This record gives sequence, C-alpha cells and structure tokens, in this order.
Amino acid sequence: MLKIDNLEVAVEGGDDTILKGLTLEVKPGEVHAIMGPNGSGKSTLAYVLAGRDGYEVRGGSVTFGDEDLLELEPEERAAAGLFLAMQYPVEIPGVANNYFLRQAMNAIRQARGEKDIPAGEFIKKLKEKAALVGVREELLKRDVNSGFSGGEKKRNEILQMAMLEPKLCILDETDSGLDIDALRTVADGVNALRDPSRSMVVITHYQRLLDHIVPDVVHVLANGRIRRTGGKELAQELENSGYEGILGEAA
Amino acid sequence: MNAVRNHPPVQAFHDLFSAGKTGLPGGDGPLLGLRETRFARFADAGIPSQRTEAWKFTNVARHANVPMALGGHVQIGASELSAFFCGGHLARRMIFVNGHVSRDFSHVRGLPEGVSVRVLADAVDDGEVRERIAAFDDGRSFTDLNAALMQSGAVIDVADGVHVAFPLQMLFAAVGSQRAATMNHPRLLVRLGRGAKLHLIETHAALQDGSTFTNLVSQIELGDEAELIHDRLQAGRDGSVLLSKADMRLGERSRLRQTLASLGGALVRNESTLHLDGTFADAVMNGAFMPTAREHVDNAICVHHRQPDCHSDQFYKGVMDGYGRGVFAGRIVVHEDAQRTNAFQTNNNLLLSDDAEIDSKPELEIYADDVKCSHGATCGDLDEQSLFYLRSRGIDADTARSILVYAFAGEVIERFADEGTRRLAMQHVFARLAGGGGLSGMLEG
Repeated sequence: MLKIDNLEVAVEGGDDTILKGLTLEVKPGEVHAIMGPNGSGKSTLAYVLAGRDGYEVRGGSVTFGDEDLLELEPEERAAAGLFLAMQYPVEIPGVANNYFLRQAMNAIRQARGEKDIPAGEFIKKLKEKAALVGVREELLKRDVNSGFSGGEKKRNEILQMAMLEPKLCILDETDSGLDIDALRTVADGVNALRDPSRSMVVITHYQRLLDHIVPDVVHVLANGRIRRTGGKELAQELENSGYEGILGEAA
Repeated sequence: MNAVRNHPPVQAFHDLFSAGKTGLPGGDGPLLGLRETRFARFADAGIPSQRTEAWKFTNVARHANVPMALGGHVQIGASELSAFFCGGHLARRMIFVNGHVSRDFSHVRGLPEGVSVRVLADAVDDGEVRERIAAFDDGRSFTDLNAALMQSGAVIDVADGVHVAFPLQMLFAAVGSQRAATMNHPRLLVRLGRGAKLHLIETHAALQDGSTFTNLVSQIELGDEAELIHDRLQAGRDGSVLLSKADMRLGERSRLRQTLASLGGALVRNESTLHLDGTFADAVMNGAFMPTAREHVDNAICVHHRQPDCHSDQFYKGVMDGYGRGVFAGRIVVHEDAQRTNAFQTNNNLLLSDDAEIDSKPELEIYADDVKCSHGATCGDLDEQSLFYLRSRGIDADTARSILVYAFAGEVIERFADEGTRRLAMQHVFARLAGGGGLSGMLEG
C-alpha cells in the first residue's frame, strides 16, 4: 500500500533536513502508529505525504500502490485514495461544509471516471456518517470549520474521511484537543472505517489514542528516522519509560 | 473652468448635439434651453483628465473622448434580454435598449394606486419633472453631458405610505455593433413619499461585441420613513463602458439597503453621493467588483451626514486579476450638526496577479465632536493553507482557487435581496473564474 524508502526532507530553502532517511512500509489493512517527541518530524511526514508546498524532498522515494506518490499533485493523491486528517484543520469562511464535502466527493469520483453522487444519496450518506462520528447536523450547513470548537474540527476531519472512503488514512495528532468522550467518539468513527483493504497511519504524541485505535505496528520516530518498531505493547512501554528511556536503549 | 486641465471634447460631440438636439425628448421646446446650457458648459469644461482629483485613478477620456453616435433602435432577441430578467414572476420591468425604451418587452401596466412609472420621454411633458431634472446640477461634465443628450429613462414615484409589493426592475441593455461606437445617456428619477417602500432592481447588461458607452444619472429621493432596497448588477463585456452617477437624498428615519456588483466591462465608474438630510436616516451600501484582463472599476462614494443620529455603512470587496484595476474612493463627511453619527467604511481586496492593482482611498472629514466613525482597507492574496486544504480533499487547484475567490466576494453577493439577481451575479462571477465551472453546484442549493 505505502512504501517509504530512505526519505530525506528539508524545509524549502532550509539547510537542515527534518526527515533523515525514513523507511516504512504499510500493508493493506494494517494500522501503524507513529509516535515521537516534539520536533521529531511527525507532522512533516504527514504533510509531505499529502503534498503540501514548502518542503523539499532531497532523497528517497514514496510509493503508493504502484504510483510514485511524490510526483502527484495533492488533489491527485486524494483521488488515488490518500487522506490526511490534519492536526490543525483550516477554517474556510464563506464555504459551506456540506457544499465542500460534496464538491470533494464529486471531484474524486470524476478523477476516477465515475459519475457524480446523486443529491439525495449524498444527503443520506452525509447524515448517516455525521451521526456516526458525532457531528451535529447544524455544523454541516455552517462554513467549513468556522467557529468550530477544537473537538468539532477533529470530528469534521473524520467525517470527511468517512465520506471520502480513502485507501490510506493518515491521522495527524487527531487526539490533540479532544476530551475523553470526544476521543472515544472519534476513535469509534475511525474504527468503523477499519477494513482489510484500508490502511491507516496514526501519528500521535500519546499512548491514550492507541487504547481506542489499536495499532498492528508501532514505530518510534525521533530525529527524522524510525528508531524502533514493535507491536502495540511498544506504545505502553513508551508510556511507562518515556521517549528518553526507549531511545536511550535503542541508541 | 477646468478647461486647462481637461480634454476638450472631440468635434463629434458638437456635430452630434447641433444636429440631434431638437429630436431629443423635450428638445423641440421645453428642455431645449437646459440642454443647450448644459452642453455649452460640458464643451467648455471638457472631459476630466487624471489631474482632476475625482478622476485621479481613472483615465476616462480614453473611453469617453472618442467619436460616438447616439444609440439607435435595435432589434434584440427575447432570450438575450430575458436572461437578465430578475425579481421573480411578480416583478414589473422597464427595459431600455441603447437608451430607448423597449415597449415590447417592458411590463409596467396595471400598477397599484400611488405607484407611477413613466418613460422619461413622456414624463418631460410634465413641468414638475423638468424642474427635478434641472435641479440636479453638480457641475460635473458627465452630468452636464447627460442633461444635454438624455434620450430616455424612467420617472418612478411612490406616494406616501404605499408599500410596493413587487420588485421593479430597470434593465439597461447596451447592444454593441461592429459598425460604430455608440453612447446613450439615460436618466432615472426615483421618489419615495413618506413611509413608502420599494424594491428597485437595476440591471446593466452588455449584449454583443462592440463599443458601448452608457452615461447614467440617477436622482433618488427617500421621504421621511421611506425604505428603498436597491439591488444593482452590472454585467459588461470587453467593449462596454458604464459611467453612473447617483445622487441620493434620505429623509428622516428613512432606510437605504443597496447592494451592487460590477462584473466586467472596459470601464465601470460607480459614483454615488448620499445626503443624509433627516435625523436617524440609515444607509447600508454593499459592493463587489472584480476587474480582470484590462478592466477597470472605479467606485467613488461620498456620504454626507448632515443631521444627528444617522447611520451609514459602506462595505466593498474587490477582486483584481490579470491587469485588472480597482479603485475605491470612499469619503464620509460628518457635518457640524451631525452629532451621534455612526459611520463606517470597509474595503477588503484580493489581488490575484502581480499585474493587478487596487487604489483604496478612504477619507473621513469630521466637523462634529460626538461621532463614531471607522474606516479600514485590506489587501491580500488567497490563503495558501486554505488552498492546500481544499486540494488535499481532491479539489483541483483552479476550482479550489475559484471556491476561495467566491467565498470572498460572495459575502457581498449574498446580500442581494433579490434571489434572481443573486443567482445571476453568481453565474457571472463563476463565468469569470478559471475554475468557475466547478462551482455550478452552488446554484443548485
């Protein structure tokens, strides 16, 4: 599904590389967690995979399915089935949430040579998914993320994910800013999307999200590289001994 | 006067006026004197150059000081006109094609008592109408030119206490021709009596290629407690020019809600002077303008607060692309007696290309001491983060840009009181955006 090989990335025009030879493979149906301290390169990885400007790939490769991911525009990556649930969802005043979702859905369908979703079908699906991830119907008519609380923004990300049904979901610090109840709702929404043909990369600081979204594989990212890889128990180990303990051992 | 600083009008104006003046409405008698006086003054003052403060950012002579014929009668297909019909099925409508009323397509019969809509050419037989026309004398060249050459227009009167239940649309179509550049000079007189209410839709449509020059003068009077909703959409083409001068007088506790959109044309000038002549008068003026290619839109607004306790709010948004140029010159004058004035002005702009330009010039002149006034102007580019967010959800770059541009300008477009005008404005905005085709879904709901 996703194969990252020796990826080196710097901020555009900057001297320092942030990702320094990152290698990772995610197979269909797998859920991988990437944990790491602040500044380890977690968000950079998420943005580079989604195709945001401002980064410079200086080495390595990323293959998604059988395509060279780094050659694709952000919208082409979305059409190919990649979805990034962002750490800081953007507020877009003047664009209604439901309009935006329908536009996104049809854009992806068109890119795949499919027909637009009929209006009735769209509304039915939207209501169903909104209920699933706990997005109030009122928020569907409001402008995208405008005036949403931190938790509402994160749920809105998962709603988009549920509607667009991507092959690969990247969740960047989806737990930040969520209280325990909201965390559970969001995790339920994510778990409902788990599927043998769908993979997930869950980026997080804390182990607590992984109590709800149980990963198959856990990686520790530090200083731009994967330092350790293990099963779900590695997350608990991190929680107990901290990054320093684990990384000290790895080094 | 300013002849030294201005451009003397080309000979064609003189020839056209002497040959045609007696054939114009009232030109065979009652209005001839006025026409001659005003033409003489126009010829003497000339066409303003950019050294005139009011035209500092706009080269109007390039479009105005060229030989043009007066717009003649042309046949135009019903479908071309009906594309611009607004106001819903109850609306009454007067249609002008190149300055001539189209009696076939206009529909203003069966008006309720107290509502009168007259074609200017008929109304000038009325001495009172002639007096009103003569009374507007701001000394401006294009007002004088309009007085000299006005062919048609409308006189709308709503009696005291009458609430007009349907929108009234004034549709001005400028039809281009490959043979000659044409001009027309309509005049619009609107008077609402005490407590009267009217929803006026003003639509300017440019049809077919060719140079057209429309020089409109509007005189709008709101009696005490009257309310006017004024939706105005202008949809131009490459060769169309619209100069519009509106003189608006608001009585005590009267209300004006104006929304306008300037969408296309070589040059559009929206000049409005508001006189808040009664206490507690309240005026809101919204505007959107979107010059692209080599288009130029100049908004010149002046609000005079003459009485205490009035409120005015100007809210203008500009989107400049290509070599497009926008001007916003908004002036608020708070006169000595106008205590407790609330006057606001906002002009926000998007510059989408390196060659686009906006000149935003807010001016406050305050002679009273107890007032609340503010003005602000901003200028920026599309937000990169928002663009990425939309693209990361599968929306292509052009469509994503269009969505964000519409989200910006739409804040004004959404304020059209008339649904038909709002939808028509959206269609024209979308047609002007590279990725606008992807936005048609917005028109569905």
